[in-house]
Amino acid sequence: MSISSIFTVLMYALAPFAWLIIAGVVILLAVHLLAYMRGYQITQYRCMLATGIAALIGLSAFFWAPWLTNSQFTYINTVFDWVAAIGSIIGAFVVAFLLLHPLSYLVKGQDT
Amino acid sequence: MKKSPFTLSRRQLLKAGAGLSASGLLYTSALQANTIDTQARIVVVGGGASGMAMANRLATRLRGGTITLIEPRDTHHYQPGWTLVASGVWHPEKTMRPNADFVPQGINWVRQYAAGIDAENRRVDLANGESLEYDYLVVATGLQLNYNLIDGMSSDLVGQHGIGSVYASVEGAARTRQAIKGWIDSGEGKGIFTSAPTAVKCAGAPLKMTFTTLTHLEESGRRDAFDVDFMSPTGGLFSQPWVNDFVKQRFDEQGVNRRHHYRLSAIDPQAKQAEFTFEGDQGSLVVPNDLRSGTANAQGKPTIIADYDFIHVVPPMSAPDFVKQSDLIAQDGPHQGEWLDVDIHTLQHKRYPEVFGIGDVIGAPINKTAASVKAQAPVVEANLLAAIQGKSLTARHDGYTSCPMITGIGKAMLVEFGYEDNYAFMPTFPFIDPKDESWAVWVMKDYMLQPAYYAVLEGQA
Repeated sequence: MSISSIFTVLMYALAPFAWLIIAGVVILLAVHLLAYMRGYQITQYRCMLATGIAALIGLSAFFWAPWLTNSQFTYINTVFDWVAAIGSIIGAFVVAFLLLHPLSYLVKGQDT
Repeated sequence: MKKSPFTLSRRQLLKAGAGLSASGLLYTSALQANTIDTQARIVVVGGGASGMAMANRLATRLRGGTITLIEPRDTHHYQPGWTLVASGVWHPEKTMRPNADFVPQGINWVRQYAAGIDAENRRVDLANGESLEYDYLVVATGLQLNYNLIDGMSSDLVGQHGIGSVYASVEGAARTRQAIKGWIDSGEGKGIFTSAPTAVKCAGAPLKMTFTTLTHLEESGRRDAFDVDFMSPTGGLFSQPWVNDFVKQRFDEQGVNRRHHYRLSAIDPQAKQAEFTFEGDQGSLVVPNDLRSGTANAQGKPTIIADYDFIHVVPPMSAPDFVKQSDLIAQDGPHQGEWLDVDIHTLQHKRYPEVFGIGDVIGAPINKTAASVKAQAPVVEANLLAAIQGKSLTARHDGYTSCPMITGIGKAMLVEFGYEDNYAFMPTFPFIDPKDESWAVWVMKDYMLQPAYYAVLEGQA
C-alpha cells in the first residue's frame, strides 16, 4: 500500500471524528489563548500537580485504550501492539498536559 | 443469436476514437491525461463494493460515453461488519449507508434488478421488462446465497429455533447475535458451526463466528457446560495452509470438536436437528457418540444426525441465477455452471472480451472479499480502458485477498495472501506479521477497515 493510499484511508478513518477533533482543538486553543492573555508561558510556568495528573492520565491509557477498543490489556502482544500502546500513552499524556497545564495557571494564577 | 453488424462497426469506431483521443492527450494537461474520450456505452451490473468502486473509477477516467449502474437498492451494506454485528460488538446501523452517498455524478443509476444477460447481443435485461445495450459490461453482481440447497432451511429461519447465519443479511446477523445470546443464557447445550461445500464470500466468517462465540462462552464462566462442534465439508478449514493449521490447532486447544467431510444437507428447526451428509471416504466414517447415523441419501452417501441448541448455518453460494443462466457462466473447469468465466489475472471474460468481472461473482480459487475488490478494481479499470483503446491488457490481478481473522473478541490476525506459491502471505505492512494475533490488528478491523472500504467504493483507494 502506497503512502498516499495510507493517508487517504487515514483521512477516511478520521472523518467521522472530525467534529470531536475540531472541538478538542478549539477547547485547547481557547484555554491557551485565555492563559496567554493572562501572562502564561508554557516554558516558564511550572506545576507539578498538572504534570503529575497528566502523567497519570497518560499511563492509564495503557489500560483503557484496549478497553475503549472492545479489547483487553492481555491482548497487547506484538511489537506493533506495544508501539501502539506506548503511542496512546504518550498521546494521552500530551493532550492532558496541554489542557491541564494552562488550566492550572488560570486557576492558581501567576504566583505559583 | 447473431451479432449485430452495427455493433461490430460501432466497437471498431469506439476503439479508433479512443486511440485518437489517447494520442491527443499528449497536448492536454496532466489531469486530463488521466482520462480518455470515448462514446462507449458501459454497463455495470451491481452496486455492491465492486460495482460501486468501478462506477466511481470509470466516472473519473472516462470523458463522454455513458456509464450505467444497475443497482436496485437504496442502502449500501458494509458486509465485512456483519461478523461484528453477530458478535455483539457493533450495532447493525453502523454497517448501513445510503447508496446515494457513493454513486458518482454523471452516470445513469438504474434502480432495477437485472434479470438476464444476453452476451451475444450485448444486452442486459431488467426486471421491469426493459433492457440496456452495452459496448462493455462489468459484471459485479456479487453472489447468491443458496439456503434452499439445505433441506428445510431458509433465510427466514435465522434467529428462530436456535438458528444463526451471519451471511443472511444485516438483520440476520443481528438475529444471529440474539440466537447465540439465547443459547449462552440457557446455561448449557451444544452449538454447531458449519461451513459450505462451495466457495463462499469472506471464507473466514464461519471461523470468526466460532471464535467470537467462544469468547462469549468463556466470559460466561460456564465454558465446560457447552459443547462446540465445527463441521467442515472438506478436510480443511481455510484455504491458506498456515492459517488452516493454526485454526485447527486453536480449535483443538479451545475444545472445539472438529468434524471433517460433514456437509450440512438438511435441518429440522422444530426438532433442532441437523442432518449432515458424509462426503469423505465411507470407510473412514466413525460416528461419534454424541451423533447418530441417519439413513443413506439418494446418492448412497451416509448421513449423520446431530441435535443442537444453536447452529450457525453457512449456505452454499454461487453466481446469481440470471448470471448462471447466461452465456457468461463458466462452461467447464472447477467453476462450471456456478461462477463467471473470467481470466483470474486480467479479469476479462474468457469468451466475451467486452465483458469484465469483479468481486464475488468471478470464478477464482480465492478472492471473495472486499479486500480483493480493492486489488481488482484498478486491474479492471486499466484493462477495460485498454480494451476501449484497442490496446493489449497489461494489468494483472495477483489474487490478493485479506482476512482480518478474528480469533477472539479483541484480537485478530491480518491474513493477506494471493494466488502464488500455494497462497503465500502478501503482507501489506512489514511490521505486521500475519501469523501473530494482535490487538492493533483488531483495532484496524474495528476502526480502520470500514473507512478504507468506503475509500475503495469512492475509487480513492
